[in-house]
Amino acid sequence: MDKATIEMLARRAGLAKALAEFPEDVAVAARQAESAVAKVKKCDDPRAEPWPPMRAGSGL
Amino acid sequence: MRDGTLAELHWLTASDAARAIAAKELSPVELVQALIERIAKLDPKLNAFIRHDGSSALQAARQAEAEVMVGRLRGPLHGVPVGIKDIIDVAGLPTTCHSKILDGNIATADAVCVHKLRGAGAIVMGKLSTHEFAIGGPSFDLPWPPARNPWNINHHPGGSSSGSGSGVAAGLFPMALGSDTGGSVRNPASCCGIVGLKPTYGLVSRRGVFPLSFTLDHVGPMTRTVTDNALMLETLAGHDPLDPGSAAVPYGHYAAALERPVRGLRVGFVRHFHEVDLPAEPEVTAALDHVARTLQLEGMEVRDVTLPSLDEFRAINRVILQSEAWAIHEKWLQQRPGDYAQLSRRQLMTGAFFTAGDYTHAARRRLEMIAEVEAVLREVDVLLCASSMDPACRIDRPADLERTYPRQARTPFNVTGHPALAMMSGLSADGLPLSVQFAGRYFDEATVLQVARAWERASGVDGKHPPIL
Repeated sequence: MDKATIEMLARRAGLAKALAEFPEDVAVAARQAESAVAKVKKCDDPRAEPWPPMRAGSGL
Repeated sequence: MRDGTLAELHWLTASDAARAIAAKELSPVELVQALIERIAKLDPKLNAFIRHDGSSALQAARQAEAEVMVGRLRGPLHGVPVGIKDIIDVAGLPTTCHSKILDGNIATADAVCVHKLRGAGAIVMGKLSTHEFAIGGPSFDLPWPPARNPWNINHHPGGSSSGSGSGVAAGLFPMALGSDTGGSVRNPASCCGIVGLKPTYGLVSRRGVFPLSFTLDHVGPMTRTVTDNALMLETLAGHDPLDPGSAAVPYGHYAAALERPVRGLRVGFVRHFHEVDLPAEPEVTAALDHVARTLQLEGMEVRDVTLPSLDEFRAINRVILQSEAWAIHEKWLQQRPGDYAQLSRRQLMTGAFFTAGDYTHAARRRLEMIAEVEAVLREVDVLLCASSMDPACRIDRPADLERTYPRQARTPFNVTGHPALAMMSGLSADGLPLSVQFAGRYFDEATVLQVARAWERASGVDGKHPPIL
């Protein structure tokens, strides 16, 4: 993720203050996110459900 | 009113203390007073406490003693001291989460887990250090210093339930509450050589506990022995209709099951975690092999099994944890980023960079990984694997902390929700605890504890205490 993209995403997330005061921390956070996402396999089955499952009943 | 000397009281187990108090051989006041004196002596070095509440503890101990004298016992932990991680509410005390952000946040009611402990007779000693908001790491840029490891105070005690691990290991209290979202009960248990259990997701209520990640958060017992862990879990377990993640399932009499025969139990050894995925220090590997051989000698059948890779478990854990944590911390991170420690700020801001698709992909893959672990647990009764790949490093070396913190095999069981327990496997050449982890089927904490007890009984690890104390 390049610097311009990081800054754009940070501002979109409302992190302008953090970007001004802690730019290196924002960059580290962005790189951590990018790294984690790259390691998650995508499910091939379009019907694959997430966990936890949606439940009707006592939680609603 | 009791046998023994004051000097020995701090190593009393919760079970032995409860038994002696019930038999009127030990005064809860004397026990609490002894621990207060020990805390005064040691905690300035250990920083296990954020807020020690000695006067309330003594008052509760006097009440407990008065009740004993008229034959009234509140429950199986009557008069036994407990420490509470400072993300868990204790009525009338601040819940700071070790952060400037929650300065002045006074809890108006006990968390359900604290309420249950008090109902069983336990005495709250105070609120314990944590990594800020149960994430990040040992930080020196917060209002309170980080807890230290009683085996060597230059080393970190693990986290995020760092004060819980440090205090139990140091004999400041025989039991503590921790929370575990990516391994935060089991990491300090591993670093400090105690027993830490992350129960099945939904077994213990999280109501009154400051959330980190709703679908990964667990509350768990931390003790010096497996028996105490089982005793504490019996008190904590149970359905809470006001916790949306709570499960309405029967729960067990875990302590009574501890000494059941283990012969014939099938143990799946997840070697690839520490041999391939994240190669462990040789001492850690040797200790794990020793545990496996010991379980075989106890009559268990140990076979190698394969689970998904640690790399992917960790990635799934991070995407879900940090996405959910972002939803909690978004406003504060936008307005007050400087009030966080750098370590937690970096971890919590990560959630801002995930998309809805990232989160959903991780949640869908999570279900597939659960199915893969479930398939293995149909073939074996319990899993044996590494907890930490290294002994605790020095607390003042950020590069070592950054390198060793992710080298662990705890997050798989947050992702899947299976029960998992970490405890001592031995000591390193430097005298620091090494660790092992046992995991089991959903809501089968009894078998996990039974195998852990078999290892404890055969190895005698419950008799090891930090020598410097």
